[in-house]
Amino acid sequence: MKAPDTIDELRDSLASERYLVDEGLATVVYLALRIRRPLLVEGEPGVGKTELAKALAAATEVPLMRLQCYEGIDVHHALYDWDYQRQLLHLRGEGSEPLYSERFLVRRPLLEALSNPGCVLLIDELDRADDEFEAFLLEFLSDFQITIPEIGAVSAEQPPVVVITSNRTRELHDALRRRCLYHWIEHPDLGRERAIVRARLPRIPEALAAQACAFVEQLRWLDLYRVPGVGETLDWTESLQALGAEEVEPDVTERSLGSLLKAHEDIERVRREGVADLIERAQGAASKGGGPHEEAA
Amino acid sequence: VSSEPPGERLKMSALVMDAVVALGRALRADGLATTVDQELALAKALAVVDVRDKEQFRWAARACFLRGPHEAPAFERVFDRFWKGEKLSGSRAPIAEHGETDPRMPGPQHGGESLPQFRLEGRSGHLLGGAVSQAGDEIPTAGAQEPGQGRRRGALAAYSPEEIHTDRRRLDYERGELQAVRILGDELRRAHPERLSRRLRASRRRGRLDLRRTVRRALRTEGDAFHPAWTSVSTRPRRLTLLCDVSGSMERFSRVLLASLRAAVAAGIDAEAFAFATGLTRLTVELSDRDVTRALDRARASVGDWSGGTRIGAAFAEFNRRWAQRGIGRGAIVIIFSDGWDRGDPEQLARETRRLQLQCRRLIWVNPRPADLEMQSLAVGMRAALPYVDNFIPGHDPRAIAGLAELVRGVDRARPARRQAPVSSVSVGRI
Repeated sequence: MKAPDTIDELRDSLASERYLVDEGLATVVYLALRIRRPLLVEGEPGVGKTELAKALAAATEVPLMRLQCYEGIDVHHALYDWDYQRQLLHLRGEGSEPLYSERFLVRRPLLEALSNPGCVLLIDELDRADDEFEAFLLEFLSDFQITIPEIGAVSAEQPPVVVITSNRTRELHDALRRRCLYHWIEHPDLGRERAIVRARLPRIPEALAAQACAFVEQLRWLDLYRVPGVGETLDWTESLQALGAEEVEPDVTERSLGSLLKAHEDIERVRREGVADLIERAQGAASKGGGPHEEAA
Repeated sequence: VSSEPPGERLKMSALVMDAVVALGRALRADGLATTVDQELALAKALAVVDVRDKEQFRWAARACFLRGPHEAPAFERVFDRFWKGEKLSGSRAPIAEHGETDPRMPGPQHGGESLPQFRLEGRSGHLLGGAVSQAGDEIPTAGAQEPGQGRRRGALAAYSPEEIHTDRRRLDYERGELQAVRILGDELRRAHPERLSRRLRASRRRGRLDLRRTVRRALRTEGDAFHPAWTSVSTRPRRLTLLCDVSGSMERFSRVLLASLRAAVAAGIDAEAFAFATGLTRLTVELSDRDVTRALDRARASVGDWSGGTRIGAAFAEFNRRWAQRGIGRGAIVIIFSDGWDRGDPEQLARETRRLQLQCRRLIWVNPRPADLEMQSLAVGMRAALPYVDNFIPGHDPRAIAGLAELVRGVDRARPARRQAPVSSVSVGRI
C-alpha cells in the first residue's frame, strides 16, 4: 500500500492514474484513506464515481474489490456462498471432509475485501439494492467482521477503504449516510473537463478536445433530460476523432450527436436550438473563459 | 503539530473539539440533522488535515455532516459565519412565505407569475376548445369568489366542508374533513400495488431448484435420499407516486388531498408525494413526520406556491428531469390529482405528460372537476394531457374513487395500450 502523506500527494498520484480531482474531492478521499470511514459519493450519471474507486486502488497500489449491487442482491451474492454442486458430489462420493469448510466456501467480494488488508472496496450503485441489503451492509461497515457459523468469525487485519456510489434512484437510509463521509461530485468546470479529456485521451489534438468540451458545457445549460457527463464527453470526443474531424463542425457534430445525447427529445431539442449556433456560442464562451451565464450577465 | 509539547497538543484538540461541537450545533439549529457520531468523525478528520486551511476544513466538515446535495446551501451559510467567527445561533432568517396569496384580494399577488385563481366554472363556458390561449383575460379574478359560494362537486369535493378557510397557514382539520381524509387515504393505502421481485423465496411448490436447502436436507440423510427443495418468485411493493395539484383552482380539494397523501406516505407502502402549482415540491420527507399535525404543517410550509397559478407542464418537466429519471417514476404507478386547469404552454404539457407516461408503469389522472370538460375553457391542460393518460378517473363519482384501489392493484394484469408516436397537435375533444 502506497498511502499518500498529504492531500497534494494524493491528488498527484490520482492524476498519474489519469483521474483529476478538485480540492473538495481530494480532501474527502484523503480523509477516507486516513480515518477509514466509508466514502459515499453521489452525482449525476457519468461524473466518474466508479472511476474514482478504480483510480484510487491503482494510485495506492492495492487490489480493488467490486460489488455491483442490483435488485435482489443478498448475502449469498455479496459475502459468501457454498459450492453446492461440489458438496452434493462430495456427499455421494462418500468423502470424509466436512461439507461446510473452506474447501467448499465460495468467496464473494465482501469476504474477499476482508482477507485483502487495506484494499479498496467499491460498492457500486447501492441504491439499486433493497433496504434489507442496506441494513446488512450497515452492520458490515461498522465493524468489518463477519461470522460464518460453520467456520467462525472473519475480520479484517486492516479495514478496507470503502467507496460507495449511488445514483439516487432511491434515497439511502440515514443511518448509512451518517456512518459515511459524503461527497457530491459535480460536473467538472470547463478547464478541468478539458484537462480530463486530455489526460484520458492523449492522442486527441488539443484544439479538438477544447472545442468538444466547450460544446458539451454549452449543452449543460440547455435543460436536457439527460445532461451529458464527462463519460459522454469522452465518448463523443473519441467519436469525433473516429469520424476524422479536426474541429467541432456542424456537420460532423450532427452526425455524432448520438454518442453524446441519449434521449430522442434531447437530440430534437439541440437540433431545434441549432447545432451551428451552439458551436458558435460555445467558441465564444470558451474564448472569454466563462460559461454562458457570465456572458448573459 | 508533533513538535509541540503534549500539553499544547491537548489544548489544541480541545479547541478543535469545541469548534466542531459549535459547528454541529449551529447546523442542527439550521435544520441539518447532525449527530454526535458525525461530530466525532469530524474531530478525527481534522486531526489529519490542516485545520488552519479553510478549504480543507470546509470539505472535511461537508463530508462529515452533509447527507445530500440539498443540504449544501444551508451548510455553506452556516460554515461561512462559523469561519468568520460570527455569532452562530439566533441569526436564522425567517422562512419566506412567498407565494402566499389571499383569496380575498383580487388579482395575482406574487410577482405576476400566477394568474387569476378563483375562477368559476361555467362563467366562461362560451369559450370553447380553440380559443383557450386568451381565456385568462376573460376570466373573473379572485374578487368574485365568496366563501361558501363554491358548489360542491364530486366525491373529493364532498369530502371538503362548505366553508373556505382563509387562514391557510394553520391546517386545522374539521372532524368531517378528517373522516374524508380517512376514506381517500384508506383507498390509497389499500391500493398497495405489487410487482415481481428478483428475490426468490422458499416454496413448497415445484419451481426453481433451491440447492442451498437441498444440500442441507441431503446432509440429514448423509446423502442417501435426495429431497429437492424449491423456490418461487416473490413480490415487492410497487412504488406509488402521487402528484397533487395545489394551485388556486384546486384549493377546495388540496387540504384533503394533502392529508390523504400523508396517509399514503405514512402507511408504510412505497409512496412518494409531490405537490405542484407553478413549480414542483417533493413532500415525501415532510409528510413522513410521525406527528400528523406537524407533518401537514411542514408540508404546507414547504410548498412555496400553494394556491398559486398553474403551470402543469413546467411542473411535470421538473418531475421528469429531477425525479422520474432517478427512478421515482420508473416502474411506478403515478397518480395525478388535478383539475387540469392550466395557464402554461399546452404543447409543453403534452410533451411532458407523454415523457412521464413513458417512464412510469401506469399514469392515472384523477380529476375532481371532470364534468363538461369542453365547457371549461381553463381545462386546456386536461385536454392537452389526456391522450397520454392511461386511466382517467372522474373524481365526482364516489364509485370511481372507490375503484381507485382496485385499479391500482390490477395494474400488472394488463399493459395499457399506448401511442407509439407523439400527437403532433394538441387536439382533444370530448371525454
